[in-house]
Formats: sequence, structure tokens, C-alpha cells
Amino acid sequence: MLKRKREESSKREHNPYRRRVLFFLLLGWGLLLLGDRVSELRVYQGALIAIYALAIGSLILLTGYSGQLSLGQGAFMAIGAYAAALTQIYLQPPLIVTFIAAVVVAALFGAIIGGGAARLSGPYLAGTTLALALGLPTLANLFSFLGGETGLYFDVGIAPERFGAEFTLYKWFFWIAALATLIMLFFIQNILKSRYGRAWKAGRANAAAAQLVGLHVGRRKVLAFTISAGVAGLAGALLGMVSLVAPSTFTLSLSFAIITGAVLAGLTSLTGSILGGLVLVIIPEIAEMVSGNFGESEAVTANIPGLITSLLLILTVLFTPNGPAEQWHHHKEKKKQRAL
Amino acid sequence: MQQVINVFLIGISIGSIYALMSLALVLVWRSTRVVNFAQAGQAIVTTYVAWEVVNRSGSFLMAFILAVAIGGLIGGLVESGMMRTLFKHASDGPVAAVAPVIATLGLLGVIRALVGLIWTNEGKRFESPVSTAGFVIGDTTLPFSRLNLLIICTAAIVMIVFSILFQRTNLGLALRAAAYNPEIARLSGVKVSMTRTIGWVFAGAAGAVAGILVSSNDTLNPYSLDVLFVFGFVAAVVGGLESLVGAVVGGLVLGVGLSFITFYLGTSLVFPTAFIVLVIVLLVRPSGIFGVKGARSA
Repeated sequence: MLKRKREESSKREHNPYRRRVLFFLLLGWGLLLLGDRVSELRVYQGALIAIYALAIGSLILLTGYSGQLSLGQGAFMAIGAYAAALTQIYLQPPLIVTFIAAVVVAALFGAIIGGGAARLSGPYLAGTTLALALGLPTLANLFSFLGGETGLYFDVGIAPERFGAEFTLYKWFFWIAALATLIMLFFIQNILKSRYGRAWKAGRANAAAAQLVGLHVGRRKVLAFTISAGVAGLAGALLGMVSLVAPSTFTLSLSFAIITGAVLAGLTSLTGSILGGLVLVIIPEIAEMVSGNFGESEAVTANIPGLITSLLLILTVLFTPNGPAEQWHHHKEKKKQRAL
Repeated sequence: MQQVINVFLIGISIGSIYALMSLALVLVWRSTRVVNFAQAGQAIVTTYVAWEVVNRSGSFLMAFILAVAIGGLIGGLVESGMMRTLFKHASDGPVAAVAPVIATLGLLGVIRALVGLIWTNEGKRFESPVSTAGFVIGDTTLPFSRLNLLIICTAAIVMIVFSILFQRTNLGLALRAAAYNPEIARLSGVKVSMTRTIGWVFAGAAGAVAGILVSSNDTLNPYSLDVLFVFGFVAAVVGGLESLVGAVVGGLVLGVGLSFITFYLGTSLVFPTAFIVLVIVLLVRPSGIFGVKGARSA
């Protein structure tokens, strides 16, 4: 009886690829319908959610699967954004090419830094990437073509005319960001379920054992770092599109926010990344409401979001280190075991 | 030639502050195998307290002593309140290796937000306790000032106190034993959990000194010590992260090196250089210049 059940479930999981395609298509369709029904601000926030979700996805791949914690995702986002903006300014290629440039250049930097980083463990890697996140944006002041503190303007143009005259700029941003994010997350999801994903997990769980079965753990780690940097670069280009390609966009706080989102969503589940993006956008909203009750002091509105997210971060890592979703899953499994 | 000496002295002055921060990181690392990313956050609290005391009473000495005491207290509270819970809950699983980093980052965020709520995010001017005008020799004015001298002397005193404490007292012996091998130290009667807390207390105090010294004659805001943390980390890694002597030497070398780069090549190259130094040291000699052997005996 039990055996048959197991066979059935394995059959059902036999074609997860089609299910995933369907899931992403439905999600995209739902978002498009939603985009027509909400206000301009909400559309803009929707774009932000998509961008954060993508950045969080890149970190989940790196930390949750390959086991390397990077505090420098913001730096790779900056690289991607500058690459996209410079390509757009100097070459004016079709839009998609600028985004591809962002991915490629960021991945290239990721490969270089990852080559060193793969040898580092936990806190060393975290500290090195922290130095990168803090130091890299200062380079913008060093080279004049990077635009200094004021930065560059990454102009994606207005929406094509066939979408109609009511198609606002923010809606256009949202479409680009949501589409890019969905495609990328789909791509990451497939990598994570492939032998590469399994190899990363194996290397993280037990490096010696993974090497024993013939995996080159170091090379796999560099690969993870490269892919993660490329994805972060795309997220950065998208962020540069909705705001500004300048050092002030890619601060250390951005890197920290992404880590917070990833941890809150659960570092080991990619589906959580959208939830993480949602949390990052919603918390400032909540904070605004809360601080409205305490009087509109600037110190309060500026600091309440940080306080809430940081407290959540500590509580999550202290009590449900593998993410709330995972914990719940674990809890259910235990219950099932007890019932048997 | 005179200029070289000037730049060198300024470098020693900045470097001794990096050395203190690096010392704090090493103390925490030795006691609990954690890099405390909230070290600069803890220091920001004590620096704000010092600023408040200086503004209310005008006494820099009192502010200093109070800040160091509070720094130690915060260190102890963080270890016994947060890190112990963390080690209990997140000792295995996929995120065990990164959990301490994330937890201390969260702490950093909480501290910053609280500091911002109490003192607002606007920059506060931290007046220097002594003159910042350079010494005058003959008819040339040096960039090296009384403040620089005070910084070097304070840092030197803190380091001497630490070295006496570690080399000449029973407590120091217990701390060194617990860092070297916790199991055996426990067997021979050292309360290892206590030495962990003490490591954090000392680190908090050292970080508090570094925070005050670096903020003197500068603007203070909830983010102003980020740079200090990064340079302290680089210095600690250069020195091997295990070795107290290495931390101090690493800090001084980094300070002097960056001082020369600032003077001769420009400020914008400071960060890239520090980063490159960090990466090179990690790739070529991950155990630092003062490798494990030197570290263990110090």
C-alpha cells in the first residue's frame, strides 16, 4: 500500500518541469491583470517587489544552496546597473541587449571575485564581500564616465505605442521588471533542481563527501558565485531603471535589505523570494502607518522600518534558522511521524 | 623626508584606531568563533553616549570611562542574551554556518535604528578634547596634532593593559586556554562559558575606545563607523584573526599604508587598496601574516 503510494507520488513528480512552466505563466498572467487595476504607486511598488525578489533569488542560490554568504549583492547589482546604463548611453542597442550586458558584465566580475571567494568560508567571505559592497560604489567618483555622485540615467524609453496611450511609464517599468524576474526565477528554479543544484547542496552539506563522489566543489562554488552575480546584475539594472544608477542607490543598506528578505523568506526555498520582496516593500508601508500614530517625526519614519526588519531578522535566525516556511514543513513532518 | 615622517605619524595615529577595532574583532573571534558584524554598532552606541556626556557635563574623561564601561556591558549582554540562544537553536542545518553573521547583522540594524530613534540620523559634531592644531617646530607647522598624540597614547595604554592582562594574570591564562582548546580548558577547571562572555566584554570595551577616538573632531551618525569596521576587519585578517599581536600590527600597517596612499595617490584609492590587500592576504596567506602558531602563543 505504502509502496504504491510512493510510486504514484514519484510519477506525479515526474513532470515537474511542465508544472513549473504553468505556475510561472499563471503567475505572470495574474500580475498583468492586477497591474491594470491598481494605482500608479502600487504599480511602482510592484516593480520594486519584482526587483527585490530577483535579487533575493540570487542570494538564495548562493547562500541557501551553495552555502556562501555574500554581503556584497549590492555591489554586483551596481555593476549590472552601470553596465546596462553605459551600454544604453554609448551604443543605444535594443532594450534586451542592455539587460544582457548587465548580466554578462556582472557575471564576469562575479567569476573573478568568486575565484578568490570560493576558497573562503563563512565569516571571511562575508567580510570580504562587505568590503566590496562598501568600497565599490566609491569607484564611481574615480572615473568621470561613471558620473560621480549624481550617477547615470538608465533610460529604457517609453512603452511601445501598440500598448495604447494609457500605458504609463511605471506600468512599463513594472512589465519589464516582472517579466525579467519571472523568466530569471524560472531559470534559477530549473538550475536548482538540476544536477548543478544537487551538487551545490552536496558541497554545502559535506564538502569531503562531495569531493569523494567526484564533484569539484571549488569549481562548483565559483560557478554558483558567477551565476548569482549575473542574476544580481540584472536586478541591479532593473533597480537602476526605476530609480537612478548612482552610488546612493547601491548602498550597504541595499545589500543588508536583500539578506533580510532572503532570511525572512527562508534561505532554502526559491518560492520564498517573491514573499521576501513583498515583505521588503510592505514593511516600510506598515512603518509609515505606525509612525503616523507617534507623530510625524523624521527620526521615527526613517528608523522604524530598519528596526522592524532587523528585529524580524534576529528572531528568524534565532528561532527558525531555516526560514518560517521550512520550519512549518518540518513541524508537519514531525506531526505525521507522531501520527504513525 | 619631513613629509614622509608626517604621513607616517598620521598613519600610526589612524592605524592605532584600526588596531583597537581589529583587537575587538579578534577577541570575539577567539572566544566564540564568530566575526561580530555588530562590533561597530556597539561602538556607535557608546560613542553617542560619550557625545551626550561631553555635551552635558563637559568632561571628556568621564565620558570616556562611561563609554568603555557601557561598551563592555553591551558586549556581555549580547553574548549571554543573543549568541547563546543562537548556538542552542542554529547549531546544525543548512544555515548554521552563516547564522552568526546574519544574527550580528540583525543586531547591527537594530542598534542603528534605536540610535537613530534616540539621537536622530542627523550628523552630530563630536568636538575634539584637545587641540587639533598641528605641533609647531621652528617655523613649520606639522599636520600631526595633540589629538593624534592623544589617540596614539590612549590606544597604546589600552594595548598595554590587554597584554598585561593576557600574559600576567590567571584570567588571561584562562582566556588563552579556552581559545586554544575549549574542551581541555574545561577539563582543567576553566569556566569556558564565562571566558566567552568575558571575551565579548573586552571586545565591547576596546570597540568603545576605537569609536570615541575615531569620532573625535569628526561628525557622528548611525552609519559613521561602517568604514572603521571594514578596516578593522581587514587589519584583523591581515594579522590572522587569531592573534592579538597580529591584530595590532595589522592595524598599524594598514593605517600607515592607507595614510601614504591618501597623501600621494588620493582618497578615492583607499577603499580599493584595502579591498585588494584583503583579497591578496586571503588568497596567498589565509592564516594571516601572524600565522596560527604565533597566534596561539600570544
